[in-house]
Amino acid sequence: MKRDSANVIPLARPDAPAIRVTKLSKTYPGGVEAVKGIDFEVAPGEMFGLLGPNGAGKSTTVGMLTTTIAPSGGSAELAGFDVVAEPLAARRISSVVFQEAVVDRELSGRRNLDLHARLWGVDVKTAATRIAETANTLGLAELIDRPVSSYSGGQRRRLEIARALVSEPRVLFLDEPTVGLDPRIRRELLDVIAGLRARNQMTTLLTTHYLEEAEQLCDRVAIIHQGEIVALDTPRALLAGLGGEIVELRVEGDAGAALALLRARGIASEDALNVGSTLTVPLHNHGAAEAISAISAAGLKPLQISSRTPSLDDVYLRLTGDRIAVAA
Amino acid sequence: MTTLTALSTLAGRRFQLTARTPRQIFVPLLTPIFFALVVAPALQSALGGLGTHIDYTTFVAVGTVGLLVPLTTIFAGLSVIVDRDSGAQPELLAAPVPRSLLVLGNLIVALTLSALQVAVLIATATAYGDDFQVTATGVLWFVGAAVLFAAFMYGVAETLASRIPKQEEYIGATPAVAILPWFFAGALFPIGALPGALTAFAKVLPLTHALALMRFGLLGDGGSSLHDIWGMGSATGEAFLSLAVVALFAMAFTALAIRVFTRAALR
Repeated sequence: MKRDSANVIPLARPDAPAIRVTKLSKTYPGGVEAVKGIDFEVAPGEMFGLLGPNGAGKSTTVGMLTTTIAPSGGSAELAGFDVVAEPLAARRISSVVFQEAVVDRELSGRRNLDLHARLWGVDVKTAATRIAETANTLGLAELIDRPVSSYSGGQRRRLEIARALVSEPRVLFLDEPTVGLDPRIRRELLDVIAGLRARNQMTTLLTTHYLEEAEQLCDRVAIIHQGEIVALDTPRALLAGLGGEIVELRVEGDAGAALALLRARGIASEDALNVGSTLTVPLHNHGAAEAISAISAAGLKPLQISSRTPSLDDVYLRLTGDRIAVAA
Repeated sequence: MTTLTALSTLAGRRFQLTARTPRQIFVPLLTPIFFALVVAPALQSALGGLGTHIDYTTFVAVGTVGLLVPLTTIFAGLSVIVDRDSGAQPELLAAPVPRSLLVLGNLIVALTLSALQVAVLIATATAYGDDFQVTATGVLWFVGAAVLFAAFMYGVAETLASRIPKQEEYIGATPAVAILPWFFAGALFPIGALPGALTAFAKVLPLTHALALMRFGLLGDGGSSLHDIWGMGSATGEAFLSLAVVALFAMAFTALAIRVFTRAALR
């Protein structure tokens, strides 16, 4: 028997990182290696993103941190509580918003929130106050006594976020919270999630395959690819590695030879790459106009050429040779 | 939070969800009541009853409890699959409570629902003229057997629900689990009427013991099949032995259900 019990749950350890993951791995029966020895730490109050396409290992990582998936190796702690040795304590200080809809549809919104509060040990009076506050904050006050089956997708998502907040978790997991929502509701929800940053010292781990979510919301982003973290830094630092602008051109014929020519002329650096007939050229020493002129002067006749600011998709492309949108 | 608070919260949730699906409450009652009120009198009329002082329709009324309880608990198990596939089970698994309490919370509701339905069945049979010999001790035997048998059947249902991935497959297993044993367990006739090998088979079914105990409670010594099972001189001694058998099955399958559920919950 582990040292957890329903009655004795120690307080969170304030000096520990909110999340500490050390050589964490998961191999499913059948030999599929979903997570391959990843390491990261998340500080209290930080909003941390796990960015990657479907199948990259994001949800498996969240599953291990929320104690619904058993790690095959390594360790993970929430506020110092080991998720394998002290699962109840780890669950006591965390909440999850799941990728799929996870609600009791036949019950009212209020009852869903109240159940969470009771299971997380919030006393009745405090729970009632928090439910009222959270429902107001998330725009649910008018709906809260209706059965959840009558909610729209966006309303249900907001209810699930409200439910996760009722226990005032130290660590909040948002697993692909905007998947399946239409663009307008998605934007609304991003505002809601951005608003969570204001909550006192709550750490948020957000998984997403939407680049703009990670860029807009996260203090730091870990890019995960085939179960491994291939980059981890602030969005600004990740983007800075690609220079100020990117020129993208589509060429006829041998794209590899065209890339070699641009490198030889000093237009492209080692981080430029080609996928099919498209060359992606981060600009470190030139402006876009200067680079486009140099490309013409080099004798290349692109079928299409454009410039833009770098995105995390370019970071992902440089690191993995694929685009998140394609991989997703 | 205490274990008791967590358990009452989980059971309260399941009660609310069950109350919102009335078919889960009423549908399992239909077939047993049909057997007790229509089939049993027809069989008595056609075949002449048991040939003892025990009224055949009263004998079958108790026997139908052995159909009602499995149907009710199997329906309750189905709600576990619904919870897993499209309900809030992932949220409950992320809650800071031991996962065994999820099974025990469901068990409490299944037992309560079974008790209500059995009460309705017995009350209906009484209203139609069935002649039960009600004593305080007899009621205790009846309730003890019914509760332990319902716990056993819920353990079976929850174990199946945790192991079977699809609702369709689970429903497909219902006749074999909930209905077939009823025909062998002495629900419609004493097990001594079966061929020898099947009598031996009937004696190892927990339902046979549960029905014999329930009849011992409501029909008295002469109406039970305890002697057919044990062949001993003391009916009370035989009753304690059968109670032990049903209790053993109840404990074993509750423990199995918890183990299978908690293992299935952790991928």
